[in-house]
Amino acid sequence: MDKVLEVKDLELKFVTRRGVFHALNGVNLELYKGEVLGVAGESGSGKSTLMLAIGGLLPSNAWVTRGEIVYMSKNIIQELVKEGDTKYVKKRNEKALKKLNEKLQSIRGSKISTVFQDPMTALNPVLQVGYQIAEAVYYHNPSVLARRILARYKATKDDMREILSILKNKEDYNEKLLKFIKGKNLEGLEEQVLFIWERNDLHDIKKEKLILSLAGEKVPRTALPFLYKIARSNKLERTPILSRFIKRILIKEGYRKAVEILSILKVPNPEKVVYMYPHELSGGMRQRVAIAIGLINNPEIVLLDEPTTALDVTVQAQVLDLVRSIRNKYSSSFIFVSHDLSVLYEVSDRIAIMYAGKVVEVGSKDEIVSKPLHPYTQSLLRAVPSIESEKISPIPGEVPDLRNLPKGCMFHPRCPYAMDICKNQEPPMYNLENGHKVACFLYGEKK
Amino acid sequence: MMIAGYNITKQYVSGGMFSTNKAVVKAVQGVNIKIKEKETVGLVGESGSGKTTLARLLIGLEEVTEGTILFNISDGELNEYEEALKKGDEGVIKRIEGMYDITKIPRSRLRKLRRYMSIVFQDPYSSLDPRMTVIDIIKEPMIATGYLSGEEANKRVLELLEKVGLPKWFAYRYPHELSGGQRQRVAIARALSTNPKFIALDEPTSALDVSTQAQILNLLKSLQRDEGLSYLLITHNISVASYLSDRMYVMYAGKLVEVGEREQVIKNPKHPYTIVLMSAVPKLGKIMQRVPVKGEPPNLVNLPTGCHFHPRCPYAFEYCGWNAVEVAEDLKYLLEGKYYDIGGEKIKVDVLSELKIRVEGLGYQDLEKIIKNEIEAVMSFKSIDSIKKESENAVSIELKEYITPKLYQLDDGRLVSCLLYDEKFINRK
Repeated sequence: MDKVLEVKDLELKFVTRRGVFHALNGVNLELYKGEVLGVAGESGSGKSTLMLAIGGLLPSNAWVTRGEIVYMSKNIIQELVKEGDTKYVKKRNEKALKKLNEKLQSIRGSKISTVFQDPMTALNPVLQVGYQIAEAVYYHNPSVLARRILARYKATKDDMREILSILKNKEDYNEKLLKFIKGKNLEGLEEQVLFIWERNDLHDIKKEKLILSLAGEKVPRTALPFLYKIARSNKLERTPILSRFIKRILIKEGYRKAVEILSILKVPNPEKVVYMYPHELSGGMRQRVAIAIGLINNPEIVLLDEPTTALDVTVQAQVLDLVRSIRNKYSSSFIFVSHDLSVLYEVSDRIAIMYAGKVVEVGSKDEIVSKPLHPYTQSLLRAVPSIESEKISPIPGEVPDLRNLPKGCMFHPRCPYAMDICKNQEPPMYNLENGHKVACFLYGEKK
Repeated sequence: MMIAGYNITKQYVSGGMFSTNKAVVKAVQGVNIKIKEKETVGLVGESGSGKTTLARLLIGLEEVTEGTILFNISDGELNEYEEALKKGDEGVIKRIEGMYDITKIPRSRLRKLRRYMSIVFQDPYSSLDPRMTVIDIIKEPMIATGYLSGEEANKRVLELLEKVGLPKWFAYRYPHELSGGQRQRVAIARALSTNPKFIALDEPTSALDVSTQAQILNLLKSLQRDEGLSYLLITHNISVASYLSDRMYVMYAGKLVEVGEREQVIKNPKHPYTIVLMSAVPKLGKIMQRVPVKGEPPNLVNLPTGCHFHPRCPYAFEYCGWNAVEVAEDLKYLLEGKYYDIGGEKIKVDVLSELKIRVEGLGYQDLEKIIKNEIEAVMSFKSIDSIKKESENAVSIELKEYITPKLYQLDDGRLVSCLLYDEKFINRK
């Protein structure tokens, strides 16, 4: 399997007025193509910080002291780590982060996108839902929108009739359609046609009518050359006034694309929903909109940061089913963060357990749940009440203070099996069979 | 009986004094609830189902719009009261309500009664005053109710800290110096301070981490055993409710839908909503086969007619509460989409009354065909009683009158509010 992303020995601190918080202390993690990786941990375990680092959304007081995040065989946080850097210099760090931010602009949102926990705060309350989805495409992939408009402008009724005859011919219409559209130079039309054709709540006559009406779109003549330019270069027009004029046209197209993605995400009445504001939607709908923004650019990696925590159980169940269905539709890899192991068990292939800024155990979900190795994972599983459980045993003590971490293994003060070596040495990651990894001396060579 | 509530109803009027579109939010509607001594009652439901409002009403933090809440009444008098309710004996009802009903007794007496009831709030980060030390926080209710004061109160605080598993020197700390779990322990100590008989626990662990949640749950369990407390546990987390409760009340959109022993409700739920809810809980180690449910809980201003759950219910049938607006909406959707060939945009669907629809631009046969084809997929069509031909291309549809479900008692003693358990429909299951 191909690795899409690799985090190597990442160490990150937050410098605040109340002290230096050791948020990540040497995280190692791999994400393979097409998988859903679950990341579990309590608050303060660093799971959200890790997502911010991968998503390129670090705040200005984040101080990366070591490690790499490798995406497409390039270390994307190279600028932040300097050899022999032992002192935190505020100005220099902020400058490096700012530079990194600019560099990541092309990756963030289009190649790696994030869906946040609380959709009420993640969405802008004064903008229509459709606008917010459209904006994500407009800034990252304006060529997609320009091509869609131009395809409708160029297509004639006869082209459409031919497309309809291909579609009606049931057998492998997908390939034939693509070939036809490529031949006619109408890229951008296929997704619009297929979206209408594959709806099953419409009568064929209505579908035909809708598909025929796609042809011969009227586009203002002044805009045409610019649309061609954007379609070719995927860069936005920078001329004043004119750029706003083009933006209006492209955003309007973005609304159409938003309707398509919302209906894939099973939002009822997407045509109306795109003109609504976030406060008019229920919690589940808002979360679907946030997911739509995350998926619209077909990113390679989608980071889902506690996407179901703010939702009710029945709605959570719907969103979990949705995540399972979109992973088949999109070729993306997902990282799903949650504090709830049973939620992760439902959606992910592998689960990583984090404790005090370190990944302490990684393995397939079945191994983690049925054969947990790390003492923390074991105690965590025993502490979760379930419908069947008659007894739960809490983990003694509290999550360690991130400003003042215990020496050696971070878990040793709460660990029932703590040995002398645990108090002084940090356990390395031991590779066991089936890709199961655990950071605990119990599984090392006998000493 | 610790608490016996009858027909508790709470409505809020939204919108200000000059607002033109005032709306009535029906938060709790006609709920009957009983909590025995030393019992934990779990109250579960989704957000907006009215569970927190109900708890606030039960301990008198909010005034009921309607209803009776008898607090700490002996079983003999409760029997007498229920007999009187059946017979309509006004004298007895008035006498007993005057003594025990916290919605009717004078404020001065309620203040003294407050000693016996208390509450633990959801979020320990906002329910503790940041400018008070732990000792002052725990002492406050004792002083306010006149239970203890001065040195005695201080002594009791230290006892309480030990009871909830905090060291004594925490007494002079401020809340911001404590972690979430420690704060929740302080909140529990505060709730215990006046030696109450009844505590409402409003989502006591939802702001905590899994490992601390387990500590708090076990603490609550042992406190109940030692002090003989009654709990009302409000939670949206079914596993937490199942861990602590003896009996469970399930609420949906302001009404009770199922009441029963914990085992019954969790292992063998009967109301469709409870079935959906239980199957939606993710479980470790197995992928659930879910009962599918569409949509989200309704808005409390515009509640569905009949059974509140019917638009989402996978088992709904013709009497569950369908009205003309719902049927017209489904019909329009079909006519504009799947059956576009019949008339397209020319067809007009008008709602005449709650149970009557008029369709223009469509022949009788066509409409009959659509309904016959879709009756399995579109649940609201099941409620269609008759189709009448008005003219060549106008048809009127009449719906069957819906029945609002009551709480029906089953053989195993539990109460379920679903028409499937009404005598008339019992064989439909």
